[in-house]
Amino acid sequence: MRTNLIQAYLNGSPAAKQYNSDKAAKDFDVHKELNNRTFIKPLPSNGKLVRNNLFDMPAEFFKDVKYDINALRHSVKGEANDHELGRLNDMGMKLGGVAIASYLFTRKSTPLTKVMEFVGLASFFTAMDVWPKLALQLPAYLVHGFNIRQKYEDNYGRKKLLYQDHQFIPWDLYSDEEINKIGDRLKVPNNIPNRREFIQEKMRKIALQNNTMWMLTAGFATPITSALICNALTNPISKYQDGKINQKADNLLLNFNEEIKKTDFSKQQQELEKLLTDNKGKPITPELFEQIHSRLSEGLDRVVATDMQKDLENIIPTGSGYTIDKKAVENIQSAIKIQLEPLHLSDEDLGKILPNTESLNRSFESKNLFRTEVKDFSEYSKEIQNVLNYNISEFIKANPDNPINRKLGFVAKKLVHSPEFGADSPLLSSLKFTPSAILNEGAIKTIENASKVLNQFKAEVGVLDRFAYLKAAQAPETILANSWNNITDDMLKSLNFTPKEIAKARIDREITGPLLREKLEYIVSDDTRYNQFVDTMFNKLSELHEKMASIDVPKDNNTNSYLGKVDTTYDGAAESLRKLGMNSLAQSINGKDGDVRSSAKHIQISFVKDRITGVKSSFYRLLNTVDVYRRISQLDKIPADTLHNKMPLQVKEELLEFVKQMLLDAHTSDYAVKFFTLRHPEINPPANASPEELARFYSQVEVQNGKVVNKILGTHPDNQLVELSNDKGFFGNVMRFVYKESPNPDTVNRGQTSLIWEDFMNYRKELLDILGGDSNFAKPYHLVDGIVNSTSERRFLRLGCAPDEMFYKLCKQKFNNHKWFKMFGGMGAALLGVTVLSQFFMGKMKVPETAKKENK
Amino acid sequence: MILPVSNFSDRHVAFRAKPGENKDTTYDEDTLLENSFSNRVRIGMDKLTKAFTVYPAKGLTGSKNSNFYEFLTMGTVPYLIGSATLMAIFNAPNKSFMPDSKVPANSLGRKMALGVLFYGIFKSLSKSFIDAPVKWFTGVDTQLPYAKVNYQLQENPDDYNLTSIEYHKVGESVDFTRWDQLYGDPKKGQDLNFRYDKIAKKNGLGENLNDSDQEVKPIYKEVLVKSNLARSFSSYMWAATGVALAFQKPWDNFFKAATWKFWKVNEFTHSLKVFGQSFVQSCKDLYKGSPDAVKHFDKHAGKYLLGASVAITALGLLNTLHITKKPPKHVAEQVMDSNKESVVS
Repeated sequence: MRTNLIQAYLNGSPAAKQYNSDKAAKDFDVHKELNNRTFIKPLPSNGKLVRNNLFDMPAEFFKDVKYDINALRHSVKGEANDHELGRLNDMGMKLGGVAIASYLFTRKSTPLTKVMEFVGLASFFTAMDVWPKLALQLPAYLVHGFNIRQKYEDNYGRKKLLYQDHQFIPWDLYSDEEINKIGDRLKVPNNIPNRREFIQEKMRKIALQNNTMWMLTAGFATPITSALICNALTNPISKYQDGKINQKADNLLLNFNEEIKKTDFSKQQQELEKLLTDNKGKPITPELFEQIHSRLSEGLDRVVATDMQKDLENIIPTGSGYTIDKKAVENIQSAIKIQLEPLHLSDEDLGKILPNTESLNRSFESKNLFRTEVKDFSEYSKEIQNVLNYNISEFIKANPDNPINRKLGFVAKKLVHSPEFGADSPLLSSLKFTPSAILNEGAIKTIENASKVLNQFKAEVGVLDRFAYLKAAQAPETILANSWNNITDDMLKSLNFTPKEIAKARIDREITGPLLREKLEYIVSDDTRYNQFVDTMFNKLSELHEKMASIDVPKDNNTNSYLGKVDTTYDGAAESLRKLGMNSLAQSINGKDGDVRSSAKHIQISFVKDRITGVKSSFYRLLNTVDVYRRISQLDKIPADTLHNKMPLQVKEELLEFVKQMLLDAHTSDYAVKFFTLRHPEINPPANASPEELARFYSQVEVQNGKVVNKILGTHPDNQLVELSNDKGFFGNVMRFVYKESPNPDTVNRGQTSLIWEDFMNYRKELLDILGGDSNFAKPYHLVDGIVNSTSERRFLRLGCAPDEMFYKLCKQKFNNHKWFKMFGGMGAALLGVTVLSQFFMGKMKVPETAKKENK
Repeated sequence: MILPVSNFSDRHVAFRAKPGENKDTTYDEDTLLENSFSNRVRIGMDKLTKAFTVYPAKGLTGSKNSNFYEFLTMGTVPYLIGSATLMAIFNAPNKSFMPDSKVPANSLGRKMALGVLFYGIFKSLSKSFIDAPVKWFTGVDTQLPYAKVNYQLQENPDDYNLTSIEYHKVGESVDFTRWDQLYGDPKKGQDLNFRYDKIAKKNGLGENLNDSDQEVKPIYKEVLVKSNLARSFSSYMWAATGVALAFQKPWDNFFKAATWKFWKVNEFTHSLKVFGQSFVQSCKDLYKGSPDAVKHFDKHAGKYLLGASVAITALGLLNTLHITKKPPKHVAEQVMDSNKESVVS
């Protein structure tokens, strides 16, 4: 049996103990105190319940941080306690979390996805903390009237949960008054014996049940809550970042000169200058030429770099010939030696065969071959061969039985007359060792100046590239991409796509198309709905227009525009280079005689303009589609010029059906072949038609609720329908109806004051030209309005995305989000509901009999 | 047994063992266990089973015998369910997506799931990076288990089984280390201090010490604290490394070949083979970094993470092995002879 220390202490002889304390109170008698049993009791607690409010949070936070730092210090020394080690474990978990988020941050490429890694981490820890507070602590407080996650601070300042260990709950920290108040709330009768104990037991039970619920639910709740928090924060963060990125991009142009200075090319300039100085007065070898060229063209477009080569060849020519002097003779010897290596000759034999310096010098001198600007090496090779042949014949004479003799002759022959000779043989290299042209002062100055111009140009282009990327690159989270997402999201909302419709529409564009058509016809059939829809579109597109103003607005109107900066950058650099005589380079930078096509400047402009055009065209197409649908829905009130009285009703119906379908799903290829639509061939009235029949034949179409009530279309069997290639006017009428007729008055009223109106009208006009009147159609001479030279790329960009495809992709994306949200949002809500409701089943205890009787 | 004063009964909700279900009473008193693989598995399974069954039942009924050990053991429940939920969040809806969305969603989702798995595995396994060397160099087994016989309160008159077994570790508390469990049992022919003697010898305190337990306890405690610190930090860093490893591209090959159908031997073997290849390749990729990365930090982030994990483990280990609380070495002449009379001023 273990000794009870207190008992042993009490039973021990007082004489055996010696107390000697200087600090003892004067009247303190230890024996008297020890004899008094009241002494044997726990020391009064210095602990307290933690009751912090929001204002205490910063102070508490710093207090906790200080505690953690001390805990770390203690544990490094090996002196920490359990509580401190527990805190350090939490710290380790957070460190690990930060490590994960940091690593995944580096793996993501866009600002939002990068930020979301840390948001995910923070949301996970928040969810861990918030779930028990929100789903357990708060409902428990509301239902039972006390805090089941009450914290207390012990004697050592350690904060712990009061109900953490159910075998040790420091109840003494609650006053009788507090406990009784909670008891009243828990509806514990007042007249029971040991009421405080009963209340405490009830509280303990409720707290324990809640702690268990916490453990059982946290596994589901924490990841789901965390994911839902991330989901909810994605849009606000994206919006915030979009604003920041837009501002950052605009600032690049506003502070253009400061931004350029941030790119430091001084090191490159110094390196080039050192290279030039070191080689001043030396022959311009191909290696030197390459070094200069690569330093100058570093970071430039390959086409521009190639054009620069042409200019450099004028400034530092490498093809003006080579100087052959006595040094070249030494090189010739080395080259021959290298080529004789496969024969494995002894040093002695090699010495006999290898032409010595004197004999070569003599031979070259005798033929006056020591000269400069040598381009043809045939005389030299002859001389070398003569000397070599002489040596070899002497060698063979001296060693007639040497097995190497035959090989020697062959190698010698190949050495001089090798087919490779003239390309890169060692002998040729040895002769070309010293080019005649040397790097002179003038060339150095030109190159240095060109480098300065190019460095400035590279710095400016760097800023323009960054701006273009942030605004409109084909990448996620650029301003253009964000605008696209934002506008299409709003369109989907405005069209009232239900989750069921989204689920259907995401399967195929063939399903999306009819659904979208229904939606549009529904919207255009009502003034309020239509006005609301086009208002949203004009507002959103104006926002986009404004964001892209620094690129899209003509340079004359905006001094800080992208186009203006492109002009000054490219034209300025090209002009300076022209002055230095680098015309080819200048031409590849800004074109020739004002024609920028195929120049680097053109690429810089079209890189962003094409992207913006594609996006804007897609939205203008949708806007135009809605407008045309509106016009069709109001044909009874506002007749269209195209649908004139001499057009049969059947053709009108065919035309309108065709228009509606074309606007929703046509691609440029469809326009190019004029659609080959199947129609009924009888487009002329019957021969003996009565005036009534004729009136019916040419009557106007009937519209109802945004739809055409077809009287003839669809009545003919499919096998009677054909492609009417001889009806030249049909396609023209379609084009005129869609792109030439005035927009609906409501569209005009709503849109003509918006920023995009002019742009929208230009879009319609251009489409009529390049798609309605292109000269390169499958069927020649089927022109609508003039002849326009347009590229297929331009037509593609201008036509934009087909609305059915736009909504098909959008629905697919929305469905995925909905699906996820429905699944886990539902689970989260159900879990929260069950957890909250569970409070009503907690703390059930039988009230003591005595109290019951008295209550009766 | 003195029971607390109680004037109420929870008979109708009490959780109690039925007669004949008393499986826990394999120990009569607190018993030190060998830190063997079989014991670790047995204890792990026992705790896992109870964490999902007995303890929640006791907790939900508000049993007065529920204690902190049970609460801590139940911590496994959110850990495992949370892991499964996290995997489900990134994978469950994918099957409803269209093929072009499903492919990238699955790739990310499976990597996430693998990340969750690797987080747990790396965190668990990496603890031995600290525990094994510490045991080897200091002789202190920080994970030494013992079975604690817990006497419970009677919740109603039918309760006769009032014991439960809890599995603790001798050094799980640095404030209340179970020194008593480390003493030998003379009845079994063991020296009282034989475990302390071993640790003392391992740490160079000498042999045949009179009070090796007193000499060893400060060292033991220091090792416990420091190894705890090292384990806390290094295990989470290795867990992070596991997640980073799971996000490497080569795992896509494994996901294509992965199968759980072990009865299809060839496919299953192939799947395991591809797992091995993907693991090796992913380790290389993590170290080498992404070829697409533009920034230096982005390219070498994997290297830095690995380096940080190794550095934190090494630092933690060195700190643990650097014992500062060794008693000073006694010179024979300076040691007081207890047989001789001496005067203390």
